[in-house]
Amino acid sequence: MKTCISCGMPMNKAADFAKNDESKNYCIYCAREDGSMKSFEEAKASMTGFIIKTQGLSNEAAENAAFSAMRKLPGWQSNFSENTTTD
Amino acid sequence: MAGSRKLQKEQTRERIIAAALKVYSERGFSSPTTVIADEAQVSHGSIFVHFPTVESLFLCLLDGFSQDLKSELHSLVECGNDITKLLEKHLDILIKHEAFYKRLTTEAVYLPEEAKNTSFHIQSTVSIHFLQALEKEISAGEIKHIPFHMIFNTWLGLIHYYLLNGDFFAPNESVLTRYKNTLIECFMALIK
Ligand SMILES: [Zn+2]
Repeated sequence: MKTCISCGMPMNKAADFAKNDESKNYCIYCAREDGSMKSFEEAKASMTGFIIKTQGLSNEAAENAAFSAMRKLPGWQSNFSENTTTD
Repeated sequence: MAGSRKLQKEQTRERIIAAALKVYSERGFSSPTTVIADEAQVSHGSIFVHFPTVESLFLCLLDGFSQDLKSELHSLVECGNDITKLLEKHLDILIKHEAFYKRLTTEAVYLPEEAKNTSFHIQSTVSIHFLQALEKEISAGEIKHIPFHMIFNTWLGLIHYYLLNGDFFAPNESVLTRYKNTLIECFMALIK
């Protein structure tokens, strides 16, 4: 099963993919209206919103959890490459 | 030669992680590394050759555990809109990893922040499938009008309460196995 490189969501039917395009490696929620992938900040905001909606975390904690999840996702490795030594 | 030494090093590392998983599951996260070294049958110093700090060993172990658990949890998608089946399958997966999962939830306050976030990532994976399964029923009014996160947290809260008090509910056995049907029936009755 393919998972979204941006948020980690499993994509198992065409409707899960950006633009219903199963060759894409990111999901419908991580796509902008024109089908391009959301920026880091946009993706972080939507993941934060998802965590609040589904788990009810406080805004700050949800943002923190989203940030740390993105650190482990293949779509955002270049955004963290300067920070890898701090681990 | 260099290849076989590398392989041996890798095997020792794996053995330390497996031993840590067992020791932490059985005795909790405050277990000293000497116990882990004994379990892995390596010298105490050897642990720190592979992991500079206890925290790095723990985070590495947790990362592997959560990857495995998350990929199993993705199979929840097969349940479609069948909520009872989803709950059953969720419990079945947790039962397989019950000892460590219990530590992870009941000792969470002692964990470093990164580890706490990992717990939430595991729950995020579950929540995706819950949301997909429940969304239709919620909008069709077949499930009570409760915010989604409260439905989800109520289910996790039930599970975690029974895990936390497993010694009282089911001494010396798997509390989730013993109460599986009760938990599912009760939860369904609450949300329907
Ligand atoms: Zn996505």
